[in-house]
This record gives sequence, C-alpha cells and structure tokens, in this order.
Amino acid sequence: MGETAPDRPASVELTFDAASHSVDAIQRAAYRFSDRVSCELVSGDVEHRCVLTAFGDVDLDAQIADFRTEVLDQVLRERIRAETEPIRTMILAQAFSKTGVVDPRNAS
Amino acid sequence: MSRFRQLESFRPDTAQWELLPFRFERLNGRVLVTNMVGEHVTLAAEEFNELAEKRLPVDSPLVRRLRAKHLIRQPGDRSPSTLLALKSRTRYRRLAESTGLHIFVVSLRCEHSCPYCQVSRQSSDKERYDMSLETAERGLDMTFRSPSSAIKIEFQGGEPLLNFGLIEEIVRRAEQRNRNEGRNLGFVIATNLALLTDEVLEFCARHNVHISTSLDGPADLHNKNRPRPGRNSWELAVEGICRAREALGVERVSALMTTTKASLDRVREIVDCYLELGLHGIFLRPLSPYGFAIKTKSYSAYDAERWLDFYRDGLAYILELNRRGVPMTEYLSSVILTKMLTNREPGYVDLTSPAGIGIGAIVYNYDGSVYASDEGRMLAEMGDETFRLGHLATDTYEEILTSEALLTPLEESFAPSAPMCSDCAFEPFCGSDPVYHYATSGDFLGRKPESDFCRRNMAIFKHLLDLYESDPSARSTFLSWAGR
Repeated sequence: MGETAPDRPASVELTFDAASHSVDAIQRAAYRFSDRVSCELVSGDVEHRCVLTAFGDVDLDAQIADFRTEVLDQVLRERIRAETEPIRTMILAQAFSKTGVVDPRNAS
Repeated sequence: MSRFRQLESFRPDTAQWELLPFRFERLNGRVLVTNMVGEHVTLAAEEFNELAEKRLPVDSPLVRRLRAKHLIRQPGDRSPSTLLALKSRTRYRRLAESTGLHIFVVSLRCEHSCPYCQVSRQSSDKERYDMSLETAERGLDMTFRSPSSAIKIEFQGGEPLLNFGLIEEIVRRAEQRNRNEGRNLGFVIATNLALLTDEVLEFCARHNVHISTSLDGPADLHNKNRPRPGRNSWELAVEGICRAREALGVERVSALMTTTKASLDRVREIVDCYLELGLHGIFLRPLSPYGFAIKTKSYSAYDAERWLDFYRDGLAYILELNRRGVPMTEYLSSVILTKMLTNREPGYVDLTSPAGIGIGAIVYNYDGSVYASDEGRMLAEMGDETFRLGHLATDTYEEILTSEALLTPLEESFAPSAPMCSDCAFEPFCGSDPVYHYATSGDFLGRKPESDFCRRNMAIFKHLLDLYESDPSARSTFLSWAGR
C-alpha cells in the first residue's frame, strides 16, 4: 500500500481472469499508461495480478477504471486482429504483388 | 395459428457480414474506427458495441455505412479487399519512387544570429563553411542516381545566398544533366532574403527557382526572434517577399514561421501579418529540438500543451477568416486532412511511415557529409553524427542508401509495427520521426506515452476530427484543404 499520500494508496492491485484476459492485452494497456503509472504484472493460470503504482501526483483512483477499460479494449483489439489477420495478409500481399519490391525467392 | 410467419422471420440474419481489419480509439464517448488505409467513421459507443459484438442487422443503415468505408464486408464479397489493396499500394507508392528532395547546404555562414537557429550557423571562415564546386558536382551525381521521376533541389544554409555563385552553377549543371534525364526538376532557395539582389531574382526567374523564406509575424516579434546587424530582418524579409513575388509570381514565393515563446499569445497577429503581405497560407509549426534552439533553451521555453493552445487558436481564427470569405490555409492541418480524407499521401516527411529520412529527403552538407535529413544534419552540428550516412567523396549511392545509419532507424521506427502505434486508430494519419525521438529520448522509436510528438499529433487529429464532425463550415473548409 501507499507511502506518499497518507489517505490514499499510491499502489493498487488489480486482478484479471486469465481465461478472458491475455498477458499481452494487459501489457499493451500497461504500456499506454506508462506515463502515469508503473505496472508490475504477475501472470497465473487462473488470474493475472497487476500492481499499479502512480507516478508523482497522479491520482491513482482516476486511473483504475480507465486502465480496466483499456485492458478490455486491448482484449477486443486482440480478437479483431486474430479474426482479420488472414484477410489483412491477403490484402497486403495483393497490394505489393505488382510493385516489383517483393523478392520472388521469398514469395510463397 | 397464423397463416403467415411473423415479420421477424423475414429479417436478414444479424451476422451476415464479417469484419475487415480495423483499429479503434475512444474519444469523449464516441469511438473512432479506421480501416487499413485511414478511411474512418466515428460511432456512438453503443453502435461500436453492436459492431464489435456483431449484433448489427445486415439491413441497418450503419452496416451500409461500414461497408462503404471497408470496415466490414459480406462473405464472399471480393471487391473490398481488392480496393483496400489498391489503396494500400497508393499509400506506399512513394517508396518505389525513392528520394525526391535533395538538400544542398551550400554554406553554413549566416549574417543573422537567431537564438532558435536549428542548424548552428557560423559567422565567418568562407573557406571552411562553404560548399565547393567539386562537392556540389558529387552531390549532383548522387541526386541523379535517385530513381525518382520528380527531383527537387533545395538550397539551404546558413544563408545560401552567401554562396550564390555555387547555386547558379548547380542549377545550370542540373539542368544540363536533365536534358538527357527528363526528370521533373525543380529548385528552391531557402533564404532570409536579406541579401536578395536583382541579379538573384533575374536568375530565379530565368531558371524557375522558387523562394522559401522565414517570416515569424509582425516586425517586433520577427526582429526579436531573428537578430541581425541593423535589427531590420523583418523589413528586409518583407521587402524581399514583395520584390520576389513581383519578379517570380505569387505561387513561387512562400514563407515559414517558427513559434517561439514570444509568439504564443500572438497567433492572430501573425496570421494577419501573412494576410497583409498577400500570403494566403501559413504553417503553424513548433520549434524542433536541435541546434541553437537547445543551446539557448528556446526549445524548452514552452511545452506541447502550450503550443497546442497556440495552434488551436490560430486554426480557429483561420476558419473564421474563411467563413468571412477570406481564403487562408493552415498547411499542417491541410497535410493531415489530406491523409484523413483522401487516399493521397502528401509526402510530408515528418508524417510518413516508413519515416521520410533518406528516402523522402537527403542532405548534402557543405563539407560533403551526407545526412538522412535536415534534422540529422542539425544534430551533427551539435556533435552527434548518428544520422550521417556517409561522404560524397568516399561512399557510393548504394553504400549510402543501404547504410545501417539509414536502415536501422527506418526499420526501428516503422509505426505499423511500433508499440502503441500498431494499435492506434490514428496511425494512418501519423508518421515516424526517428530523429526527433532520438534527440529527445535517445532511441529511434521513443516511448510513445511520453512522446511530445505523439501527444501533439494525437491532439491535432482529435481536434480536426471534432471540428470536421461538429462544424459544417469547418468541414467545408477542410474538404477544400484536402483537395476534395
């Protein structure tokens, strides 16, 4: 718990269900917040524990809900990426197939 | 029992469509959704949820909108992927063209002593700080090795007119080479105009040379920013602009301003100053973290937020002028809106990915050193040669264009594979700036959550989108700036 503000924790532990949140999604969210809070992540089979510590005078309470929303958004981005990966690859292959920049030896 | 089935049974299935690749960002209760090439919609949060959860009925108006923007498609429909491929290819077309802008630093000498100077000009020693004809000739060899069909040669300094004889020679020799090459060849002199003569203007008129100058706003502000003997930089610049426009035509003379701390509360006066001189466009740009701007602490005098206030106020005023029938363009917004609203890539080197260094613009310094960008040259003048690609006397075109000094920052800063950028819905509008991030955070990529480059660009994108969606008059002006 916190040391810098006597009436407010400077750190907080959040847990995320491992079945519905990947480590990658939490790490991506943590990166987006890395100018405001640091994130210590311990991953587990059942749940991931994430300790957020606020930098300087950042209001940690205000960050918690936003952080959780961001993790959810990252889970959604992950799903969209996975679902659209084949067509994305196909579009890019089609886009660059006639440019002459693709080495035919590497083209599959 | 009814003889007819219920209405519900005639409705199409809700999920008779599938997702195409897209990215999203939440913006004050709404959600921006962009496809692979930057075509976008902003949705209410509930609409976005329906999209993400695939709850939208196939006959809903929103599905039609999303299909039109290539964010979803009907199964088996091949035209969206074909069109996205075509648009992606258009977006990256410039890569096959390679370097179009070739900057010759013909002299590092300058008679001004601007504290924000980003190239650390020198005031003496002609022999040491002027480019030689031999070096210029090698620079032309390199220039015409570029496969680009359009080549622009820009003369920079210091003050390039201090070595005008060399400019004349380079222009003549380039034109001579181009008789066989057949490129679309153009020239620009970036000058403070203090040394402008009739001889210079006659030469520029004869050889289709454009003039780009510095104008920071009203006289007191400009002269404070740009000291020179006689304290008459503004008077000379204004006189030069008028003479140049008369001799060369309005379209061949342009001006750039630099924002210092003293400019921050005066954006409307600065815009008025441009208008009074008949300049109907202005580039509201912040200081860069290089050269004397660092040494004299000019760069650290204001932060991104303060500059954004300046930009937003300037843009509001420019939009107001347009509403009143006074045509005026803000060029940074215009570049971004072109990326947002069309499939054209304006090629502005600070907002492209892969970055514009080396492959968009390349710099031949007065001493023969070759740099990946003007900013890379500015860093070198501060003693950091990270972006030095080689030397005209010792390195070949192939060695320079495939040097690690160029390829490593290009690869490491590529936005579509950079942390945070790869998820960012604004990425198609944005770019990579490895020199800026190297100068401010010590690596080519930078940490985006702490990057002023990212903060500033994101704020501009949000502001432009907000105005575009909420203000019909701004929308109309923006469409004209984007050339639509």
